[in-house]
Amino acid sequence: MSTAQVTKKRFNLRDKFGDWWENATRTQRVIFRVVVIGFLYALPLLDNPVFGTTESDFASVLFYPMGMYAIMAIGLNIIVGKSGILDLGYVAFFAIGAYTHAIFSISFGFNLWVNIIFGMAFAMLAGVMLGIPALRLRGDYLAIITLGFGEIVRIVALNINVTGGAAGLAGVAAPPNIFGLEFRVDDAKPFYWLLLTLMLLVIWAYIRLIARRPGRAWEAIREDEDVAEFMGVATFKYKLWGFVLGGAVGGGVGAVYSSQVTSIVPELFTLQVSIMILACVVFGGMGNIWGVALGAALLGYFPEKLRFLSDTRILFFGVLMVLMMNVRPNGLIPRKKREKVYDKHSGQEVTR
Amino acid sequence: MSDRLLEVRNLTMQFGGVVALSDVNLHVSEGEIAALIGPNGAGKTTVFNVVTGYYQPTQGDVLLNNQSILGLKPHKIARKGLARTFQNVRLFGDMTALENVMTAADAKNKVGLVASIFGVGSSKPDESRSHSKAAELLTFMGISHRAGQLAKNLPYGDQRRLEIARALALEPEVLLLDEPAAGFNPQEKVELGELIKKIRDAGFAVLLIEHDMSLVMKISDRVMVLDFGQKIAEGTPKEVQNNQKVIDAYLGVADHAS
Amino acid sequence: MDFSILWTDFASLLLDGIVVGAIYALVSLGYTLVYGVLRLINFAHSEIFMLGTFASLGVALLLGFDGFGEPLGIVAFIGVFLLIALVAAIASGSAAMLLEVVAYRRLRRKNANRLSSLISAIGASLFLVELFRIMTDSKDWDFPRLLDKNVLLEFGTAYLTTDKLVVLVGAISLMIILDQIIQKTRLGRGIRAVSQDERTAILMGVNVDRVISFTFLIGGVLAGVGSAFYMLFYEATKFNVGFLLGISAFTAAVLGGIGNVRGALAGSFALGIIQQFSSAVLGYNWRDVVTFIILVLVLLFKPTGLLGEALQKARV
Repeated sequence: MSTAQVTKKRFNLRDKFGDWWENATRTQRVIFRVVVIGFLYALPLLDNPVFGTTESDFASVLFYPMGMYAIMAIGLNIIVGKSGILDLGYVAFFAIGAYTHAIFSISFGFNLWVNIIFGMAFAMLAGVMLGIPALRLRGDYLAIITLGFGEIVRIVALNINVTGGAAGLAGVAAPPNIFGLEFRVDDAKPFYWLLLTLMLLVIWAYIRLIARRPGRAWEAIREDEDVAEFMGVATFKYKLWGFVLGGAVGGGVGAVYSSQVTSIVPELFTLQVSIMILACVVFGGMGNIWGVALGAALLGYFPEKLRFLSDTRILFFGVLMVLMMNVRPNGLIPRKKREKVYDKHSGQEVTR
Repeated sequence: MSDRLLEVRNLTMQFGGVVALSDVNLHVSEGEIAALIGPNGAGKTTVFNVVTGYYQPTQGDVLLNNQSILGLKPHKIARKGLARTFQNVRLFGDMTALENVMTAADAKNKVGLVASIFGVGSSKPDESRSHSKAAELLTFMGISHRAGQLAKNLPYGDQRRLEIARALALEPEVLLLDEPAAGFNPQEKVELGELIKKIRDAGFAVLLIEHDMSLVMKISDRVMVLDFGQKIAEGTPKEVQNNQKVIDAYLGVADHAS
Repeated sequence: MDFSILWTDFASLLLDGIVVGAIYALVSLGYTLVYGVLRLINFAHSEIFMLGTFASLGVALLLGFDGFGEPLGIVAFIGVFLLIALVAAIASGSAAMLLEVVAYRRLRRKNANRLSSLISAIGASLFLVELFRIMTDSKDWDFPRLLDKNVLLEFGTAYLTTDKLVVLVGAISLMIILDQIIQKTRLGRGIRAVSQDERTAILMGVNVDRVISFTFLIGGVLAGVGSAFYMLFYEATKFNVGFLLGISAFTAAVLGGIGNVRGALAGSFALGIIQQFSSAVLGYNWRDVVTFIILVLVLLFKPTGLLGEALQKARV
């Protein structure tokens, strides 16, 4: 069964774009990036009947669920797609970030910028504490433990005073004004821009990691973990790092989230959230960051746009997961590597 | 003694009730091509697995450069200078040939994860070092034209070479080759023999597991024979060929159809 | 934290632990059997159980029991309960077989990696939960009382009521029957063969597809009957009842040694008792945290469980 023959017959969006990108000049690439990024920032201003959604304004939807799903899916992708660890408790990192900002802003008056750092730090700490014992286990058992961790975080939040118990915490501070932008409850646009900026930063860091040694290490571990170990790759260390970095993203995002909703309760951080983000990663194409972001955005958008999907959204996610695994396990935009080609202009290798 | 790069002392390996290796003593000296032969199931690959840290021996010691490496994790042992190939070719299929070798070359770099993100510290020079080292090795093995192809798409012969190139990227003291000639035709085996000698001449000691007797006899400096987990003979190829115990164990007819 | 309660209420905590353990056992057998033949955790098994609870409820309501009538006499009760358990068993059993075909079979044929199968199972589980949530309007549904819960025997603080006796007798009988099936019948041998070495089993003429279907069927049937006992004892259900019970049943299977039938039984009773004791001391809301912690501890420190098989890691 020759791979080359099969891919020729299928319409492959990824390859078509890849071909263009490979042959584009440096200037063309810069222009492309500027246009796309500009478009993304301009999105909230496109609130019109065509794009807009029935119940809330477009900007809100862009922030949540589209933007939040997208960035969390990118974070989870580092864990699941890159490091090959099935994490069913990703919401725990999100919750830790959210509660960190809530508690620190209410009790100590720290603002969001500081709390994002704290949120990430605590999430990373949790990642290390859970990861060191758990990552020694095999796939499905590791998955169950992460699920357990997610639930434990929620139940603890439900039962202790610091987190406000079942009533949660209200009066969480919105971020302080920056560049003349005010973060108000009724206007989601600045929040969306903040989220978008964070997402671009994460993507930037991710691309650099992937192109270099960590990317190779992760890929080798996913291909054949034992052989990677024999080839000098410190597999445990890299798996742990993947887990912790993915968690850091979740923690940072959680802090931003709580600053927007301004009141949080444990019911916001259920297993279902973990599974929905996982569905985004699965749908988008595990390991491929563009697919994952796009998939998440689509999965966030369509249930909002199509009313009948709204109520049955989770039902739809469930079916989607079963369908994707059985029919198109590689997702929207598959991870599969393309053959490397030498850039015509610079003579340099083009990496992905 | 001091020129023994790799040494295995009184090695016993037991899996539950099965004794795979029993009080085995082996060594590989500097600058030599040593061969480990024996009937199927004699325990040869088990020796590789123990020596590279995949299994902890029930008893005995493994020394690399006169230092015990017992209990070290495989990746640490790989970095200390023991690299291997596999009976069934095990490449990183969805990575390119170059990337396969770079992954191993990376092991000799120091750059940490955080530094990689920001491109600071030694990340840039390390990256180009891995790149050039990998390219160099691909050329050395004669497959530089495959650099950009996915490992799984390579023809069998080139896959075997790639595996060796990848192992060499670890700059090992001793290179462990597990049946490198499997599936080759006689012409290819001759070429492989030359290649292994070239590797030895470049400064790497080689320990090879092989079934093809003529290849072993032609290129090895020393041969060690295992049978049922025990070493039954050791010496030059000629000595071993004429050793009655070895002949009884399995030789009889040196068969090329292996 | 009041530890003295463990002393004063020892007998009743022990008894309740055993009864709850019996229900867990019926569900955990499903996890352990499927794990044995597929080396996979059937994530959606908890929903198979949940489905059974609603099937039990449906039968009771259809038969006209609305909770306001007179409780039944012994003979009538046994007849009615057997009917309920039978319907629940059929519902859960067939749902389980359907689940195998839809969510697992194709992936098994393609030799897909474990991650894919697990995700497919999660999707199926999600689908079922949501389906029932929508159908039942997220409400709690009560089960009519069919039997007077008279106290039959007293051991110190432990009251052995009629329903507890029914659960214990019923569950233990089923476990004995299952043990016989596994040990003595042809399909039971098939299950054991596939659990040990699938490839050789195929070579020996075992029809693996049929064995796997049958395994899911047995697991489903047991969960179905277990759900009937659950309804008798707890008298209520909800669309999400599967999740926590599933975690407990799964933990029980792991505690006893996943893949090992006797282990599942031992683990279930052990967990039932531990849960009762810990709830008495720490309070009911920490029960599931305790369960999770047990799960994590077992997986980290004694993955083979109390009686179990080793979780193999060697791949070379």
